[in-house]
Amino acid sequence: MSLLVLEGVTKRFGGLVAVSNFSLSVGRGELVGIIGPNGAGKTTLFNLITAVYSPDGGDIRLEGRSLRGLRSHQVTRLGVARTFQNLRLLKRASALENVKTAAQLYHPYSFLESISHLGRFRAKESTIERESLEALERVGLADRAHQPAGTLPYGHQRRLEIARALALKPKLLLLDEPAAGMNPEEIEELNGLILRIHRELNLTTVVIEHHMELVVGICQRVVCMNFGEKIAEGTPEEVCSDPEVVKAYLGEDFAAGLSVCPTRGARGEVDDA
Amino acid sequence: MSWEYLQGVLVLFLVNSIAAMGVSLLTGFTGVFTLGHAAYMSIGAYALAIGMGRYELPWPIALLLAGVLASLVAYLVGVPTLRLVGDYFAIASIGLGETVRLLVENWQSLTRGARGYPGIEPFADLWVVGGIALAMGLAMFNLTRSRFGRAFKACRDDPLAASTMGVDTTSMRIVSLVVSAFYCGVAGALFASFMTYVQPAMFDLSKSTELTAVVVFGGLGSMSGTILAAAVITLVVEAFRGLAQYRMLIYGLVLVTTMVLRPEGIMGEKEIWHLLRGRRG
Amino acid sequence: MSSLLQQLLNGLSLGSAYALIAVGYSLVYSILLFSNFAHGGFLVIGGYICYYSLTKMGLGLLPAALLSLAGAGMSAVLTERIAYRPIRRRGALTLYLLIASMGMSIVIENFWVIAVGGRFRAIPPVIPTSPISVFGTTVSSFDLIVLAVALSLLLGLELFLRRTRWGLAIRASSYDVRTAALMGVDTDRLVAIVFFVAGALASVSGIFLAVRYTLYPQLGFITIKAFVAAVVGGLGSLPGAVLGSYLLGVLEMLVAGFISSQVRDIVVFLLLVVTLLVRPQGLLGRRLEEKV
Repeated sequence: MSLLVLEGVTKRFGGLVAVSNFSLSVGRGELVGIIGPNGAGKTTLFNLITAVYSPDGGDIRLEGRSLRGLRSHQVTRLGVARTFQNLRLLKRASALENVKTAAQLYHPYSFLESISHLGRFRAKESTIERESLEALERVGLADRAHQPAGTLPYGHQRRLEIARALALKPKLLLLDEPAAGMNPEEIEELNGLILRIHRELNLTTVVIEHHMELVVGICQRVVCMNFGEKIAEGTPEEVCSDPEVVKAYLGEDFAAGLSVCPTRGARGEVDDA
Repeated sequence: MSWEYLQGVLVLFLVNSIAAMGVSLLTGFTGVFTLGHAAYMSIGAYALAIGMGRYELPWPIALLLAGVLASLVAYLVGVPTLRLVGDYFAIASIGLGETVRLLVENWQSLTRGARGYPGIEPFADLWVVGGIALAMGLAMFNLTRSRFGRAFKACRDDPLAASTMGVDTTSMRIVSLVVSAFYCGVAGALFASFMTYVQPAMFDLSKSTELTAVVVFGGLGSMSGTILAAAVITLVVEAFRGLAQYRMLIYGLVLVTTMVLRPEGIMGEKEIWHLLRGRRG
Repeated sequence: MSSLLQQLLNGLSLGSAYALIAVGYSLVYSILLFSNFAHGGFLVIGGYICYYSLTKMGLGLLPAALLSLAGAGMSAVLTERIAYRPIRRRGALTLYLLIASMGMSIVIENFWVIAVGGRFRAIPPVIPTSPISVFGTTVSSFDLIVLAVALSLLLGLELFLRRTRWGLAIRASSYDVRTAALMGVDTDRLVAIVFFVAGALASVSGIFLAVRYTLYPQLGFITIKAFVAAVVGGLGSLPGAVLGSYLLGVLEMLVAGFISSQVRDIVVFLLLVVTLLVRPQGLLGRRLEEKV
């Protein structure tokens, strides 16, 4: 059964149609990429799935259950975790605190136990700490656990958001432009990280990305959006040479005979065409 | 300076601290701006006065009632307003303050109006108030270092990210409000007992502003900062008793200059033990 | 029946005073997305400037009024410069702006308490308050004047927003300040203009309220009712602020006239709670969804 189904989803902001009749089916364990020029509606799609916005039309279902009418935190509790394009970390808190705030979801204890620090408090807090450190380990940030999140280098902050998402033990992971602002080396590392997570946790993942190397490198299936609509779907190679996709990225005049596929250099490294 | 006078100042400091801790939780830790928390002190004070005076409740019960009643009112105010943007709650909180004052002044049969409610049993001596302040202080510190504390801070710093982390921001704000009201209710009740009478004028906008000024000055997000600031402001108010009209001006200036020049206040987000240990725990 | 008409007109007059306050407040909110609690301070400043212009400087009504407008407008701009801009620049939480604005409100109010004393002062009777006959009943000419002046000012504001370049800039910024800045709008100038207009409008209201209720430093407190009016009408919507204000003014006067004067403030608060429960975006407000 598909894990995530979007059916005819539409979202309008006043006169602007951000997402138009969009349908997508993501199977369990898949790693799907969503590409498209700026303003295509990709982030809006994530916002719709995580109930930051509510759709004007269509339905979104997780494991067969409709997400319409739910609030953001309820969608998270059903097993959806996401990262943000513009990074939304609690800057003044430490990296560990950031992850704990997510990890604590699965280890609740009562208000009374909170004010007394008795009962299950110690045990649960200990578990939360352990799981949070594990998540930081997984993304390679364990040694920076106590540093304030806002002082971490940019690439580490992006990884921290991923750690935080992992601490939510999600069934579905949504990564919004995780490679934004990274150089090719960092992107290679990130590719490796995402593939590792995907493989080790068998975590269904959807990635929004601009950088073709990331998409081509790791995604099994790619969807391209433009002006809120799906304009292509298929394997990475199929999509990046699809004329509609090329037109969307390069414009009508340049479309003929070109592709937006990344080329492989002499040493096999990948860079943007 | 007599021991009695000193006792009085200490009790005042302790009462202010309890109330300020409540406001600190709501504004400093959860990011909800309030300007009407003196209303909860008033509710608590009158609950105690009427509970002991009219219904002859023993003081521990009356004290508990004071906190619970204040919490109940807070809950009713919070549910419609806390799911919205902060400005709505701020306006509603000022409105509440005024409404409570008006109700107290006009429901003469119950509250004896603006003249005040006299003859409250003075059980609130230094030891009682000190003991309660200690217990409530401990509970508050524990709360901020628990899953609730983390959730509150997430609501303050980034409500969107918070809900993405599974935090029900509206519920958390309501919890924070209810707890803060409880603290203010108890503080008001203790103050009333110490003074042996209560008047609506004791808990007006000036008192609400004082509470917010204390929290801001101490540092949004630091409980020990709040208590430190409560000490400073209590002493300043006592020392400059004669300059009452300047008091409000000073509160206003404290609020503005702190926000503009040093928004972290005295302690920033650190607690006392962070300074002693030299590292954020 | 005549009593009803009197109370209605009374309510419209009070509503006019609220409208002038609420519109300025909504204007600032729509651009900066925060509630300027110091708004009441500008009202009081306007009132006192008018008072001293009329009494100590012996000016006529019109010059005194213009001086008030200018003075209040400038104080608003100054407040923004000193207290809000540094905080905005830092990109701090809205909470900090709210706190600073409350602080400014207290500073302004208590400045007047210390400078001129808290006693009530009567504005010299330069605005006619004599009763005149309308539709067979007697109403106060003051109420009619307030209504007329308020409506003309509101109309003037509407024209400013619709027909001038700065008006267009303001309307664009109410959707997205950053985008407007990217399109070449001088945001700092824009904010200054908005604050000036808000302060000036508030001062007109201040003069009218001072005539109605006498002048004292805490007069600014009445802005809380204008805030409620703005919320009821729809926070950020100017027509909403006007609608909410007149609704509130009329409601208050009807309650005061036919039930009791004490209850009227409670009714205001109740209206706020009902609005927040039933229709939080107000009558004319937009559902603001934060773009992530």
